[in-house]
Parts: sequence; structure tokens; C-alpha cells
Amino acid sequence: MIDSQERFSEKKNFFNRLILIYVIFAALFILIIYKTYSLQVSSFSDYEIAALKNKTREILIQPSRGIIYDRDGQILVNNVPSYNLIIKPSFISNFENLLDEIKSIVELSEEEIEYARINFQKKASLNRELILKKDLSKEEIAKFEVRSYRFKNVFIEQRYSRQNLYPELFSHAIGYVGNLNNEGLDKVLQDQSLSTKETIFYYSNGFIEGKTGIENIYDDRLRGKYGTKIFEVDATGKLLDELNEIPAVSGNDIKTSLDLESQKVAFKAMNGRRGAIVAVKISTGEIVSYISSPSFSVNKIANGLSENEFKELLDDVNKPFFDRAVQGRYSPASTIKPAIGLFGIENEIIDWDYKINDPGFFILPEDNRIYRGWKKGGHGDINLSNAIIESSNTFFFSLAYQSDINDLTKHLSKFGFGRNVCNDCFLPDIGLLPSPAWKMNTHNFGWFKGDTVNLGVGQGYLSATPIQLAYYSAILANKGTINKFSFVKKDSLEEPDKLISSNIDVSDWEKMHESMIGVIDNPKGTAGRLRSLKDYPIAAKSGTVELVSTETKEDYKIIRENEGNRDHAIIIAFGPMPNPEYAVSVVIENGESGGSVAGPVAIAVMNSLIN
Amino acid sequence: MIKKISNIFRDGIYFDQYLFISITLLSAMGLVFLFSASQGNLETTIKQSIFVIFGLVLMLLVSQPDPDFYKNNALAFLLISLFLLLLTAFTGKEINGAKRWLDLGFFTLQTSEIIKISLPIFLAAYLFNKSLPISLKNTFISILLIFIIANIVRIQPDLGTSLVILIAGLYVLFLAGLSWRFIGASSAIFVLSLPYIWNNFLEPFQRQRILTLFEPNADPYGSGWNITQSKIAIGSGGFQGKGYQQGSQAHLDFLPETETDFIFSVIAEEFGFLGVCVLLSVFLFILIRCLYLALNARDRFCRLTIGGLSLLFLSTIFINLAMVIGIIPVVGMPLPFISKGGSSLLSFYIAFGIIISMATHKKLMRR
Repeated sequence: MIDSQERFSEKKNFFNRLILIYVIFAALFILIIYKTYSLQVSSFSDYEIAALKNKTREILIQPSRGIIYDRDGQILVNNVPSYNLIIKPSFISNFENLLDEIKSIVELSEEEIEYARINFQKKASLNRELILKKDLSKEEIAKFEVRSYRFKNVFIEQRYSRQNLYPELFSHAIGYVGNLNNEGLDKVLQDQSLSTKETIFYYSNGFIEGKTGIENIYDDRLRGKYGTKIFEVDATGKLLDELNEIPAVSGNDIKTSLDLESQKVAFKAMNGRRGAIVAVKISTGEIVSYISSPSFSVNKIANGLSENEFKELLDDVNKPFFDRAVQGRYSPASTIKPAIGLFGIENEIIDWDYKINDPGFFILPEDNRIYRGWKKGGHGDINLSNAIIESSNTFFFSLAYQSDINDLTKHLSKFGFGRNVCNDCFLPDIGLLPSPAWKMNTHNFGWFKGDTVNLGVGQGYLSATPIQLAYYSAILANKGTINKFSFVKKDSLEEPDKLISSNIDVSDWEKMHESMIGVIDNPKGTAGRLRSLKDYPIAAKSGTVELVSTETKEDYKIIRENEGNRDHAIIIAFGPMPNPEYAVSVVIENGESGGSVAGPVAIAVMNSLIN
Repeated sequence: MIKKISNIFRDGIYFDQYLFISITLLSAMGLVFLFSASQGNLETTIKQSIFVIFGLVLMLLVSQPDPDFYKNNALAFLLISLFLLLLTAFTGKEINGAKRWLDLGFFTLQTSEIIKISLPIFLAAYLFNKSLPISLKNTFISILLIFIIANIVRIQPDLGTSLVILIAGLYVLFLAGLSWRFIGASSAIFVLSLPYIWNNFLEPFQRQRILTLFEPNADPYGSGWNITQSKIAIGSGGFQGKGYQQGSQAHLDFLPETETDFIFSVIAEEFGFLGVCVLLSVFLFILIRCLYLALNARDRFCRLTIGGLSLLFLSTIFINLAMVIGIIPVVGMPLPFISKGGSSLLSFYIAFGIIISMATHKKLMRR
């Protein structure tokens, strides 16, 4: 036991210690109040936002994509409604029963049933809709609608899918749309300052983007702005009430420069052969016809091909996906001759009266190598004008021989060779404009005089795409000035780029035009067969691209047994003369004759444009 | 009439109106909060109301016997609660991997809640007549007892309650006059053995919770989820709160354990800083009253008991609040008189009943 004195000290000791603990806790509670204050008052807005973010979920609404028109306002690509059968899993208690009932009305494939079975629980728990069947037929819609009273949680929903009204006609010019992948969507949303990527279409044929052609290049313009629906959600992500909706803004329509009628004609004239056609309006640089052949159906691509169909297209030896108009590389062959002739005039190597004797071949003085023309025995005494009309090789071998290669390369570049000539083409190739520096870099060989001589007739290293040939044709037509090409209809005239300014004057251009008119209209012209196909003057230059070098016609007969060895047929043309409105280039692979195979196609397109 | 009743109280019944009114008020507030925290579940709220009414009656009953009754029977109480605790360890009902409950048919009893009360009382009864400073032998006996009991609860596992038992025991020892030298030495040993405790006494999930405290954003959807959501709930309540039953964090399931551990977050979300202050004032009032009663208790046993039990109450509140606002790791700890849970609720009514008994039986003033 303890005595009273000790009791007093014990009591004092107890008081001190209890108060000490209380003081410590008082400090701790002040800390708690301070922390609560800082959470609730100082950082209130941060946490208010965090709570709001927690309880709301934004769901994207796809905007309606812009419509694409031709130059006369005819619809080329539209959005058409498609109808999907949708169920609401969270309200459905017996899924298998429902499935049986629906199957008796609308046919469901194994895949569709399996997809629905797999996703049913998940969709139910999150209160999302499930697409049971896409693209119902009219009959199916009717059959379901009359019985719809039996199904409270099943409905038909209208959605829009992209439809090209001329699916094979514009497959390369306009291109196609496809599903936007997640990274792509994130990027688009970032641009539109939207955050989330969840969408009611998420598991279906969701968001689309332009994959090729105009659909791709003008994707931003066509796309529109995504809208959002804001839902309240719980912690599991289940959608509760719709709180707010910001509607989507439809994309802008595009009026293209393409001409539906001439496109139809061009497509028909091409008749599925491998090749390309590009026609432009000279005064503006607008592309009016644009064909790469063979073609494919963009609607099938956009709305889902089966794996087999897709593989078939990919493996097709004619490469329908390949856009020959901007990516196909072809030697310009004889079509280059007007440019070479103008180089001679510009640099005063020759004039219009300058003549050479053409024995049918040219001997390179350096090594006595022989460069042959196409006509045995040659063209005799010949000037520039006739050399164009009759397509004398010797004249241009000789002219090229006298040319400085660096100057010639610069000159050809002005005509569009070796550079991009189009503002809004999809993945354009720039072809190849060779130069001594290029040859040294790639082949590790110096430039031979013979290379220049080959260049003089558009053979050898030089290659160009059909659109570059059309550009070249348009510059010739417009006497040295042109607008960069574009697929979009221009409302006002722009100042064209003046490319060729120097020593070539109007009379030189006119003489060149006359020579090129002679290609068709002169009895000696290489494309005389076209004369009867038109009733107005057209300037043209044909070309035949040798793929395999042969000495004689007999040799060629042997190699042409293999279709792939046959010469390519090329033509450039513009008209009506003397004030040309349209320029065109046509390439037909293995078509053999520029004048008689590519020529009629070019004339057909011209006729449709001019009439 | 009123005077008559109050006379009866004054003459025949041991009763502290301050504590009784404030605890009743707190319990009533608790029911209001619980109704919202349980998503408007009437059944839960009615069940809790029954516990509250029963608890208040129990508190009144427990405050009637003379403190000597508790002093003389302290050992018996301790042994009974220890027996129940061991019984739980062997035959207890397992819920979510923890064995903490004895199924009594009508009620599942969390036995650690009983020993939480009987241990401090036993220690007070054991130490009240020991001379100062407490001898080493008595210190060791007390500490051994505290550690054994705390450890039995820890392995259930119930870290929160075990912690409370540990500190409640140590409070009594400290208040009884534990020598400063011993406190200094053992604190040093404790600090040095922290790595050992970390590696051997904590379950992996408990370690994770401690780590989460320091970096809650490292894994906001995993181990950091509870505390992140709790902070969002509290913070988004703002000064005035979102309104009763309007808390989106609580009602859209973002907040975990809204009825028990995280009920404070619900209160803070729906009633704001203002509501938090009101709630804390009631707690503060009770604590100050307890301090007053401890300082004016009639003898050393009463002092130690009131001190120990009130500090137990204080620590429970502190641990719960500090946990939900994210300054200590998440341990299971209810908010006294507010959280759902019969055993915890009743244990505090009993504790306060005993406190009232200690405070109102004045030996010298007895008529």
C-alpha cells in the first residue's frame, strides 16, 4: 500500500502524464483538421473535378462525314443508312429464349450468335447495347417491325455507312474509308480537344477515317467534329443516366474538280486494261479525269471484305490497288521529244529551219555505238517540226548529243519531271529525272554521253508517272505556265506558276503546237489513225516504251509472245487547238502502240470533255 | 414532474448527464449518417438503432455498480474475455479470411472488442496499489500480458484492433507511472527492431498498405484505390458538402466500406467541412468531459480506468480519421458510435458506462 504523500505525488504524476497525452493528441487533431481543411477548402476544386470525372463518362458520337461531289455538283460519295439489330443485355433475363425467338424471324449466322453469347454478360454489366446483326435487309426489317411489340429490349437502329455511288470509277481518285484504329482516334480527339475514346460504336464497325485518295487527303475537312454524350456511371463503369449531350458537327462537303461523264468515258475506254489516264483543265490545273486501271470496288473495301476476297485482290497480278496514275513509273519515250526540241530552241543549238539527214540510226562518235530509229532507212532530211510529226529518233539523238546534261535536266524539271506536280494527290511518286550526280550516287558510274543520247528519246533512266506526263502536256499546251494540279474545284482563278520564261517565245510555242497537231493531222503523223475520231484539231505526241531492246522487227515478234515484254503505249494530248482547254495523258501497259492504242483512249476522253 | 425524475436520477441512479446527452446525440447523428452511407438501407439502419438503444441501456446499467465491483472482478473479466478470444481462434466464424467473430446465433460477437475494455481495467486494478515508480517486475508482467493479447488479435488477423489493445494497455501502464528510463530504453529498442517487425510481423497486404501511404498515386486503381477515392470524397465535399444522400463518391460505389471504416468520408462528402467540425466538436466535448472526470476521480484505480478507456476512445477516433484522410496506412478501424458494427458499438457503451460508474461513485460524498 502507498501512503498519503506518495498518493499526492502519484496524483500529480497522473495529471501530468494524462495532460501530456491529451496535448499530443490535441496536436494530432489539429493536424487532422488542417488536412481536412486543405482537402475540402484549399484543394476543393481539384477534388470536385476528380469526383465529377469519376462519376461521368463521355461517349463519343461520330459526326456525319462530308459528301463528295463532282465538278457539276453530282454526288459521288454519300452516307447511306444501314440498319442494325440491337439488344439491351442489361434488361434481358433469358438470353437463350430471346435468341430463339429472334432466330425465328431474322436469320442469324453462327458467328453472330457466338459474338452475342461472348459479349452478353459484359455488355449487361456495363449497361451497353449489343449489336446482334448488322445491315438488315428490307425484308428482315419489315419482318421484325411487325413483331416488334413482342420485343421490349430489341430494336432496329439506323446508322450511316459510306457509299461511293460509282464504286469502281473513283477507287483511286477518291479512295476509300476504313476503321480508325485507337491511336488514330486518339490523335483525332487530341486535335479536337476531346479526351475519351469510349464510344457506343466501340465494338461495331466504329469510327471511320479516309484511308486513300481524296478521302484520306481531305480527311480533316470531311470528318466533322465528334460530339459527346455524357453519362453518369458508377464505380464499375455501368451507365446510369444521360446527363448531357454535345451534338456532333457534320463534316464539310467537298466539291471536287472531277468530271463524272468524262470519268465514265475514260473508264469504259480503258476497259480494264492495265494503265492510267489523267486529264486536267489547263487554265486551273484541276484534275477532271483520273483513272488507274484495273480498278476495284471501294464500297466492298469500306464495308468489309472477306479474307479471301481481300487476298484475291492483293494477289491479283494486275495489282488493282496500285495507283498507276501517281505511282506507276514509265519511260516517257517519244513523248519527251517536244521538250527536247524546245531545249534545242531555247539554247540555240538548233532553230526551226535546222535540218539533219536521218539515215535511220545515230552513231555515237565516242565509241561508234549505234542508236537506232524506229523506221528502217530513216526519215531523210528532216527539221524539228517533221521530227516531231514523224517521231524521228536520230534528230533527237543528235540534238541530245549536242546538249549539256545538267542544263537538260534543269529544263526537264521545269516540265514536272522528277518532282511532285500535285497539291493533293495520295502518295505521289516523283518518278526519276536522272543526272550525273544521281548516277554516281546510285550506280557508282560516271555519266556517259550515251546516257544523254538515250534521254533525248525518253528512254534510259528517265521515268515519269502519268500525272507528270499530264502536267508536261498541260505546260506545253499553256505555253510554259501552269497551276499545280489539284482535285478540288477552284472558284477563282489563281495566278499560274510561270515555269519556262527564257528564250522560247510565243511563235516557238505555236510552231510546237502545230507540229504536235501534225502528229495526228499530217499524213506522215505517227498517230494518223486518230484523225477520224474527232472533228477539231488536237495536239498530241505518242510514245512507245521499249521494255526489251530488240534490233529487228523479227526479234520483237519473238519477245512479244510474252505479254509482259510488249512495249507500253503512251500518248500526251491537248486541245481543242488553237486554244486548248484540256490536257491528257494516257498510259496502257504492254499496249504496244502509243498512237493507235493509247491514242483512241485519249481522244475519247477529250471528246467527252469538249462536247 | 421533471424535477422528480431528475431527483430519482440524482438519488438512486448513477448518471452523468453530459456524457449521456453527448453520446446519445452522437449515436443519433451516427444513425443519420449510416442511413446515407448504407445507400438508404433501412434494415441496416434499424438494426443499428436497436444496438444503439440497447447500448444506451447497457451503458446506464454498467454505470450502476460501485467501481470496487470492477476492481475486485477485473481478473475474472479478463479471464472470461481471454477465454472468448481463444474460443474465437479455434471455433470462430471466418469472414473474408479473418477469424474474428463468435457466432451467437442472434449476433456475431467480435471478441477482441471485449478484451479491448477488460484489459485496461485489469491493468488498472493490478497497478493501482503499486508504489511509484512501477517496479521492473510489474512492468514486465503487464507488458507481457499486453503483448500476448495484442498478438492473439493480430493473428486473426486484425491489425487495427490489436494496435488499439496494445496502446490502451500501454496508456494505463504509462499513466500508472512507468519510469521514464524504461520508456526511453524501450522506445530505442522498438525503433531498432522496426525492420524486424516489418519483415516478420506484417502480412504482405499490410506492408503494401503502408507503402501505399507514401505513394498513393503509384497504383491508383489497385492498392491506392481506397485512399484515393476517400480523399476525392472528402475533398469534393467542400465547405458545405454535397447534401444529405447526394455524395456521388459514396452512392456510385467509388468509396469502399462506406458503412464502416470510411463512413467519415461519406460524412465529409455530404456535409462538408462544416459537418466535420460539428462532428469533431461532439467528440471533443466528450473527451474534455472524460479528462475532467479523470482528473477528479475518487481514487487511483478510477483515475487509471477513466484515463485508459478515454484514451482508448481517443485513439480509435484518431486512427480512423487519420486513415481515411490518408496520413496513416489503412487499418480496419471503426469510427466510435458512428460506424456500423454491433460489437464495437456496444464495447464503447460499456466503456463509457464504466467511466460514468467511476466518475459518479464518490466515496466521501456518499449519503
